[in-house]
Amino acid sequence: MIAPQPDGPIIVIDDDEAMRRACQAALRRAGYEVETYADGESGLKRMAEVGAGLLVVDLKMPGMGGMEVINRIKKINPDIVAIVITGFATVSTAVEAMKAGAYDFIPKPFTAEELRVIIARGMERRRLAQEAKKLRQEKEAQARKFITFVSHQLKAPLGAVKQYLDVLCHDAMDSIPDQYQPWMQRSCAKINSMLEVIDDWLTISKVEGGHLATQRVPVRWQDLIESVKETCATMARDGEVRVTAELPADLPPVIGDATALRMALSNLVVNAVKYNHPGGEVRITAGTDAETVAVSVADTGGGVAAEDVDHIFEEFYRSKDERHVSKGGTGMGLPICKRIVEELGGRIALDNRPGEGATFTVELPRAEREPAS
Amino acid sequence: MTARRTVLIIDDDGDYRASTRSLLEREGYTVVEADSGRKGLEAARSKSPDLIVLDIMMESPVEGYSVVQALKFHGEYDDVREIPVVMVSSIQQDPADLFGMAGDVAMITPEAYFTKPLEINSFLQCVRRMLPQDD
Repeated sequence: MIAPQPDGPIIVIDDDEAMRRACQAALRRAGYEVETYADGESGLKRMAEVGAGLLVVDLKMPGMGGMEVINRIKKINPDIVAIVITGFATVSTAVEAMKAGAYDFIPKPFTAEELRVIIARGMERRRLAQEAKKLRQEKEAQARKFITFVSHQLKAPLGAVKQYLDVLCHDAMDSIPDQYQPWMQRSCAKINSMLEVIDDWLTISKVEGGHLATQRVPVRWQDLIESVKETCATMARDGEVRVTAELPADLPPVIGDATALRMALSNLVVNAVKYNHPGGEVRITAGTDAETVAVSVADTGGGVAAEDVDHIFEEFYRSKDERHVSKGGTGMGLPICKRIVEELGGRIALDNRPGEGATFTVELPRAEREPAS
Repeated sequence: MTARRTVLIIDDDGDYRASTRSLLEREGYTVVEADSGRKGLEAARSKSPDLIVLDIMMESPVEGYSVVQALKFHGEYDDVREIPVVMVSSIQQDPADLFGMAGDVAMITPEAYFTKPLEINSFLQCVRRMLPQDD
């Protein structure tokens, strides 16, 4: 009796028919569910369908070799345990294969018992890896739940304190002695940045749950850009930064979620204004090709510091760059942008010009039709 | 000289009520408070306010909606049906989403919507627009 394996069948790929039969017989006798394929293409196709947990593959095959099969399946199923069959049992071939991601090797010729021992080890390895992954996911889910809980707990009282302070600054500043007035303003600013952090934590925990960009409808960048320009107007005026948008009149809509995309764009424009200088400029431009629409936000700030370039899209990453530390921020703006854009099947890229500025470009799939108005 | 305009604040958070009250009183409004949706509805009839500032999340996460629904649709609130309502909530959410949800329960759109803590200048501008003071 062969019970179906929760991870799908063991896939054996070998161009030698006698070898396929022998493997199948030996593994079936040991109680495994097995499927065999004569070439890499058909084996890969099947693995993509069933999401196999364990692969046994011959290294030397006409057409696609065993290494290429492993490389390709690892791209779509990185957790698969791959065991290679090596025709000539040289240590170097086996080492090469294991360096490239194979878990173990079995030299030809081998007995049914030898095969079963290696498969049993591979299955055990698979089980442990799955358990570790599950534990890691549970831990991450716990951490997110905790962040969400703490954020909600902090948000209400902090919001109330902020409103007290704002009202005091608005209505009662005159009755506060001059020397203490800056303290009031500093307190407001600190609380503002705490609230920003909390909102970003809540946003990222929503994004993690995949709840942020929930819609897939045609969205017009023109509308989003107008609305973001409006919300950033005060900040831009205070920083003496000019925000301009030059869009082709016939810019097609993209497929996305208007609320999430507005948030992503707003993060980019706010950064571009914040890390700029008085008299500086933020230019929003757009372009399109047959399949995508790209929107770019270019600033005339100092650009991203060399040591930060590889990290700016990482969650909780904060630059040590002096110019940035003084501006506050949560370290979550760009990771949130990236997640939103990627959730919608798009890409975000940085074109960094040290000393001159930075350009962030968001590329999203074009929509077939105009949004319903 | 007419009577001063009255604003009813319905919010279960005493701190938000206190600071909003101070803000509005300084603007010359008379302020009455209620700390629950139920008491808010009573006050809407007994104090005949000219404007209601209404929190969304109180006893229930959508308490504010129940209050608006009662005000606008229940026969017993006929006299106070026309009082404009400003909704406030600490949840940052697109009002369009909220009101889309409200649409499912035959709700009407409130006259204005703000997130808490209030952005003071735009909140006051909105109140002044809805309740011009006599001078």
